[in-house]
Amino acid sequence: MQLLKSALLLVLMGLSCWAKDVIPIPQEVSLLGNLRTQQVLISWSGGEVTSFDLLILRTELNDTVFYETVTTTPDKASGRHDFKWTSVEPLECTSLSVKVRSRIGQLTSDWSSMQIHQGNDSPTNELMQVYPQDKIVLPGTNTTFCCIIAEGKSFGSFHFVSETLNVTRLSRRAYAATVYSPKPSPSFGFNAFCKGTTQAEITGAVLFVGYPPLMTNFVCETHDVISAVCHWTEARDSHLLGKRQTRYSINGRNCSVVCLEQNQRQCSVPVWEDKWKLLGRNSLGEYSLTDTAGVRTRVVPLPPEEVSTGATARKANVTWGWKHNHYSSLALVCQVELTSSDDKTKRTFSGVGLRSAVLLDLYPYEEYSVKVRCGAQQNFWRWGNWSKTISFQTECDVPSTPDVWISMANDTTGQIIWKPYKQRQSHGPIVGYEVTLWSPDNGTRRIHNVSPEMFTLPLSLSSIIVSNNSRLIASVVAKNPAGLSPPATIELPLHFTSLDSEKVDFQEGAFPLSWQSDANTSCGFVVEWNEALCVLDCAVEWIKVEDDIRNVSIKSDAFEPGVKYSFSLYHCPSEAPELLKQWQGYMRELTPSSSVLLSTKQQDLDVVITWSDIPASHKRGFLRGYNVYLNNGSQLTPLASLSHNENSYTVKGLPLGSYKFTVKAFTSAGEDSGGTASITVEPYGDWLILEILATLGVTALVLFFVALICYKKRKWVKSAFYPDIPEPKLPNHWSTPQGTLDVKPSPHSMVHIVEKPEWDSGKEALVVIPEEDEDDEGIRDEPVDTDEPTSLRYYNQVVDERPIRPRYPDSSASSASSLDSGRTDVTYTGIQTSGSSLVFQPDPQSFSDQPHVALSSPESQVCSSSGYRPQNNWHLDSPEEADERRSLAPSLGSPTSIASTQFLLPDGSTEESAQEKHQSTAATWLTSLLSSTKP
Amino acid sequence: MAAQETQNPTSGDKSDDDQTARAVSLARLLHQESSLLLKLFKEKESFFEDYTPDGGRIVSLSAASEEPSTEEQVLLLHSGLRQCLGLIHCVILKEEEEWGDLEGDYESMRKNVHQRLGYLLHTTKALMENEETILEATPDHQCTEEVDGSAGVFALKMWTYRVLLELVHWADHAANTLYKLHSEREGKLLN
Repeated sequence: MQLLKSALLLVLMGLSCWAKDVIPIPQEVSLLGNLRTQQVLISWSGGEVTSFDLLILRTELNDTVFYETVTTTPDKASGRHDFKWTSVEPLECTSLSVKVRSRIGQLTSDWSSMQIHQGNDSPTNELMQVYPQDKIVLPGTNTTFCCIIAEGKSFGSFHFVSETLNVTRLSRRAYAATVYSPKPSPSFGFNAFCKGTTQAEITGAVLFVGYPPLMTNFVCETHDVISAVCHWTEARDSHLLGKRQTRYSINGRNCSVVCLEQNQRQCSVPVWEDKWKLLGRNSLGEYSLTDTAGVRTRVVPLPPEEVSTGATARKANVTWGWKHNHYSSLALVCQVELTSSDDKTKRTFSGVGLRSAVLLDLYPYEEYSVKVRCGAQQNFWRWGNWSKTISFQTECDVPSTPDVWISMANDTTGQIIWKPYKQRQSHGPIVGYEVTLWSPDNGTRRIHNVSPEMFTLPLSLSSIIVSNNSRLIASVVAKNPAGLSPPATIELPLHFTSLDSEKVDFQEGAFPLSWQSDANTSCGFVVEWNEALCVLDCAVEWIKVEDDIRNVSIKSDAFEPGVKYSFSLYHCPSEAPELLKQWQGYMRELTPSSSVLLSTKQQDLDVVITWSDIPASHKRGFLRGYNVYLNNGSQLTPLASLSHNENSYTVKGLPLGSYKFTVKAFTSAGEDSGGTASITVEPYGDWLILEILATLGVTALVLFFVALICYKKRKWVKSAFYPDIPEPKLPNHWSTPQGTLDVKPSPHSMVHIVEKPEWDSGKEALVVIPEEDEDDEGIRDEPVDTDEPTSLRYYNQVVDERPIRPRYPDSSASSASSLDSGRTDVTYTGIQTSGSSLVFQPDPQSFSDQPHVALSSPESQVCSSSGYRPQNNWHLDSPEEADERRSLAPSLGSPTSIASTQFLLPDGSTEESAQEKHQSTAATWLTSLLSSTKP
Repeated sequence: MAAQETQNPTSGDKSDDDQTARAVSLARLLHQESSLLLKLFKEKESFFEDYTPDGGRIVSLSAASEEPSTEEQVLLLHSGLRQCLGLIHCVILKEEEEWGDLEGDYESMRKNVHQRLGYLLHTTKALMENEETILEATPDHQCTEEVDGSAGVFALKMWTYRVLLELVHWADHAANTLYKLHSEREGKLLN
């Protein structure tokens, strides 16, 4: 086996040696670099072999850049093989080594000798450099730059505009970086620059990114039928300027390009040629356009020069000249553009060598401007440019007939009115008007000269007209510098007439008026209108209507909302106009601008509301009626809606009280703000008297029946209300007690003196009331009163309504006063009681030290015994008896009550020891008092 | 145009004082405008933001004496400004050749600086010229040599940048020197 291998190796070595001897090694390898295209042309002599291996290395770092087998055919003349290799990096970046070998199938020759394409990074070139310089590429073209740093320096960074690029090292000093898909550059290009490690180390290159030329609309014309002017449009901005801008040539001759507006370019060629070729070329490519035409088919005359005019009132002659005499034999068509203040027209004229045109039908005294342009009449190509514009004014002419009307206020006064001239009617500045009034019956003639600012002449016919049926004719002429206008005549109506007006609605911006009239008329109509409420010197407008027209829409910018207009139709305006019909209407109705004046009055229990009319000028619309409201201040309650011819309304059946009423007038636009009036409904006087009389009668009748019943039942009444009281029987003088009376009083006549500090104010009790301050509210507010309201009322029914008021706010003071002076402010004389006890119960807190006084009617004693006894020594058997006494209140008011001046004193034994002294003192004092007061 | 009448620079009259004041104002205005021109150029060519060229001044002059008088300094300044005028004139020519006749802010300011420098030269010429001293106000630069010894648009931009820096420098120098002259002459006038 080993032997076999050795044998095979020997065979191969033998073949190889044979091949090297047989396959020729490429000879005379040469390199030719194109720095702009970055291509290296590799050329060698290789005999008949057609296949070669090419190896390209970066010399310094021995990096393989290209290694491929290429097939070439030898050049027949030189017998050399060529191969063109394009480098990604600029060829200046670094040195490249190239060698070639022949190949026949799998057999190759030896490599040729190494050839080097020298780069700029050799030590002999020490400067810092960037390549490629000033390259121009299409947008989107990837471009690789390389930076060769200065000898002995270090690489810093690589930038494209403001972007830092990634770099690849090509050699000891060379670095490459690629810019991908750049956009079109500004005119000064994109900067690609390399930095070293210090701020001063910087160098770079500029990349221009743009487009090849692209043109459209290439046309050649002639102005003089000899030379040519060619123009075209640059359809795309190449983004290349200055040195790199697109150069143009026409038919091989370089153009001196004139830039016109909107990318228009123009180039002049001294001699016309029927075939034209435009070629645009820049660093990125070229583009061409062609044009073919005979010189007679491309004639564009130059603008006419020295344009001038000569004008009369209605005609102008425009003349011009030509720069080239060639036009004198050329059939031309020319346009004259005539511009006035509101109009622009073009008039066309033609002729050989045309130099003038006559403009007819001009307006007198009118400013015009004209300009002229021309084209070839035969084989018309296009209009030439306009000449300069010149202005002129036509002369004056006599004014047109004025539009005259007469407006009569009555049979003898009125005014002649005429309309100011519109533009182009006066034919010159109006210097005045002449108005002639003349009567054909008697030949009277009066002439009035009116200034140009006036358009009316007031009339007073009384001094002109001789008889009622005299005819009078007015004639008006206008004057301007050119003369007098034709007269406008109108015959004044003999009598002033007026008709009932119809209502007319404003529709679609106009008042539509229509009428019926005699179809045979031939003198036409006049529709006159003015503000209906105008009285003197009214602004009157009118239009004249042909005799075959029966309707017209009146439009005017002067129409205003809320203003009533009156329209009058006259027949035969030039003769004595006859009024046929009248209308009135509003452009738009508004609500009335003022309210009604309201007044109210009471009629029995009704309220009559009346109001005045709204002034006509304030109505601002056709008044449709009035709405009556009851006004409660914040709300309006509708009461009635009345028609416009009603001016009062009666509100019936109102209760007594104050009322406000509001009345609002309304038009189709709505209500006004309303007028308001107030009224107070008071009782009706007669009814009041009747009510009083009826009340008095009923009262008298009741009293009468009461009196009658009392009279009929007087015995019963007497027995019931005033029974006979037995006379007291006194055996002796009883004022001085002769001994102790051991009479146990009836429980119904016992008076308990309650004098407990813990007195319950909720329990009813009778109190003694001083005679003073009966109606004093302040007193009623005292605590003692409020504590016993029931007692007070109860007592008041019996005796008096006077409450008790403590004299002394200080209880101790009060007590001291009572003790020291032996008197009290309470007067007990004249107290009437009937079957009940009166108990003075001072406030247990305020009056705890005051003497307790108890009054008891003797009635109980009367009922329980046969006689009367002094009451100075009663004793209460038990507290229960006192309670029982309170339950006897219903016996109050008994006619058995008597007047007594005796004080009933409680027994001090039942009271606390501290009070006994007071009671005894009070008893002594009372006894003495009674003694002094008893008759 | 600035006045070009010939006057004795040492005469020290009032009109001469006004002329030096006007020259100072012109120099200051030139300094402002050339600084703005440099700013516009930097905005247009962003790579110069942090670039400080070395290699010294383009325009450098040496005085005849070690301590020249103010008048001698102004004469030296006038010579420097002439070279600057030649440089800016050359910049305009080369840029228009390269980019065409543009009408941007930079081109407008470039034209202003060119004209202002011409006015300043005429003013200094009028200030310093007398019977013995004849001055020129024309550009002192032929604009024929390669910019910085290398071709390429980028080299032109680098050179333009250096010229603009030179302009700013000389405009500032002109403002200071002329102010010094103005102060001296004003002092003489007061004395």
